Amino acid sequence: MTTSGIDPLTGFLDRQGCLRNASRLVDHCRREERPLAVVWANLDRFKKINESLGLGGGDAVIAKISERIKTRLEHRAHLARMGRDEFVMMATGYGPDEAIGLANEVWQLVIMPLEVGSVTLHPSCSLGVAVLEYGENEESLLQSAERAMFEAKRQGGNRIVISGEELIPGRLGIKLAREELEVEHKLHAALEVGGLYLNYQPIIGFDGKVEAIEALMRCEYGGELVSPGQFIPVAEKTGLVIRLGEWSLMQAAMHAKRLRDQGVPTKVAVNVSRAQLTAPKFSQTLHAALLCSDVPPELIELEITESLFMDMSELVQSNMRTAIRCGVGLSIDDFGTGYSCLATLKDIPATKLKLDRAFVTPLPEDKRVYAVVKAITQLGRELGMTVVAEGVENEAQYAALESAGVDAIQGFVRARPMGSDDVTAWLHQHSLATVDG
Amino acid sequence: MTEMADSLHTETTVDEMLVKSIIDIGIPPRPAILDVLAREVRTGEPDFKRITQHVSADVSLSAGLIKTANSPFFGFRVRAKTVAHALTMLGLEIATKALAGIALRNAFPVTPALERFWDSSACIAEFSGCLVEIVGGRQHVQADDAYTYGLFRDCGIPVLMRKFPHYKDVLARANREKHRRFTAVEEDDLPTNHAIVGCMLAQSWSLPEEICQAIRHHHDFTLMQTGGPTMPSASQRLIAIGQLAEHLHQMDTGMSYTQEWLKLGPASLGVLQLQDSDLDDLLGEIKLRSKERW
Repeated sequence: MTTSGIDPLTGFLDRQGCLRNASRLVDHCRREERPLAVVWANLDRFKKINESLGLGGGDAVIAKISERIKTRLEHRAHLARMGRDEFVMMATGYGPDEAIGLANEVWQLVIMPLEVGSVTLHPSCSLGVAVLEYGENEESLLQSAERAMFEAKRQGGNRIVISGEELIPGRLGIKLAREELEVEHKLHAALEVGGLYLNYQPIIGFDGKVEAIEALMRCEYGGELVSPGQFIPVAEKTGLVIRLGEWSLMQAAMHAKRLRDQGVPTKVAVNVSRAQLTAPKFSQTLHAALLCSDVPPELIELEITESLFMDMSELVQSNMRTAIRCGVGLSIDDFGTGYSCLATLKDIPATKLKLDRAFVTPLPEDKRVYAVVKAITQLGRELGMTVVAEGVENEAQYAALESAGVDAIQGFVRARPMGSDDVTAWLHQHSLATVDG
Repeated sequence: MTEMADSLHTETTVDEMLVKSIIDIGIPPRPAILDVLAREVRTGEPDFKRITQHVSADVSLSAGLIKTANSPFFGFRVRAKTVAHALTMLGLEIATKALAGIALRNAFPVTPALERFWDSSACIAEFSGCLVEIVGGRQHVQADDAYTYGLFRDCGIPVLMRKFPHYKDVLARANREKHRRFTAVEEDDLPTNHAIVGCMLAQSWSLPEEICQAIRHHHDFTLMQTGGPTMPSASQRLIAIGQLAEHLHQMDTGMSYTQEWLKLGPASLGVLQLQDSDLDDLLGEIKLRSKERW
């Protein structure tokens, strides 16, 4: 390559020349409101060609392929050689469909058999296609095409990938779509600068005593809340969900320890995901959290969704047994939302059953739901479980649940989720009020 | 792990004292200075003056930060003389990790055995940082991440000393183990292991996920050989760098207490695209760089 902007071997623009030219083309197309397309081609297995034919042979291959491209496309596209075996074609007035057509033409030109000395080669190439998007500059346009080309390579080469349709490896190497990448970025940033935190919502018995507080994860980034609906799917995809779970467990355990040290010992319930419960070393991680937080295990309760309890795989079962042996409580979360099988309830080593809000919302009007609540409550209690109703929002629901025999409730009617300092203050105040009362 | 563990298990007289002195603390809570830095980063316009005041209020943090900015692997031509200067030179992101490393050492009681443990950690951390500079260009690992990983890699050990008085014997056995994982030997006697405890400490101190995962898996030679969905490739590279740094340090001092290079060495060299024959040159280069900069 030279600094003149022209590649001496092919007569195409070189990298610098291409960048300068791309800048002009982007300006021009933006001014004229015309589309602009880039096709980025990279020869497959070129290293092997070089190794078997030597550098001179490699040059001959490049020269022949570039000659074909030049002959066919010179009048329609701006041609550049970006590296040893990489070509870029830029065409003004080309939208997505024409760009794919252009990429196809390039591919056809490359795969034609090639004679070098006495050897016949059957080259192939990977192609990435990008079209100038609103707000893009020449650099990001070229990068998009190059990224698409890399994706074509990753998929095995000898194919065309269109920018925007490829998945991009996220920070932990897992392939994600663009919008997922953004959420992943927020999640990592929140983890590292304290944007991830726990709120706590009290679970209160009908005698007014606090049964437990449930830790609820919140994620904030750039002053805005990122909803669990957004970040949990990405966390699950990238494996970060295990870190989130372990982090919650640790924070919740440390908070339980602080509450105990401050004279308001309170059980803290923390959600455990399927990924955590099926991850290797669940038992060692749980022990590590108890050990590191120095909290008595009876102050920790693991909330596990109903469907996981119904998972009878040996790993899940053995991890639940470990939790029980450690001395932590197990709670069946969202009971009634899955395929609940009442018969299996007797085999579940849980100490608490949380009725899903779906059973609470229709109360007190729906008498049939009331009958179901009453029956489940009786069954749960006879199996030695504390029965809690979630999502209780008004006094009428509260009264109906009390009359159905439920042990405790969680919901806005008595207490909203609070930050760690607020819940500590609330617990102090509440314990005084309960004693006074 | 771990050459550093050795400094603990050979010190028989101070171990009981050490255990007693830290018996009442759990995992050290995330230091307040890290919360201050995080708050400033979250504002989008960090106030360096305010951060400087907070760091300066703690003599050991100030001294540690200035020492870090002047340490060889950052390779600054100018020497930092004040906290403000060190902060500007390092930038907030690196300063945060550096302060976490300093706070880690401060979070545990001072005993001769632990001092040697941290000195050894610091040395391997510096070797790791240097290694990234030499081979890191093609490895996509940042020197400060390798340095932080080096400091935190074995931080589960002092935490475990607290609960288990016989832990030093477990460490001695694990150090002699030639075939099984180091952590598997720990799990023969304990309900957990130092890699998981260290990972959880790092998580609760908000270190980047790649570093936490590297701490968690740093004895997992099977995962190092195969990679896998549970370990990000950046973590794999950090483990390789840390293991190589420990091995080079052992070559340098002529002391080798562990079997870890036997188990993790080949995979580490593979990840870093190095050969056994490169090791002497690498050590020479690290020592040369250290000499030049000091």
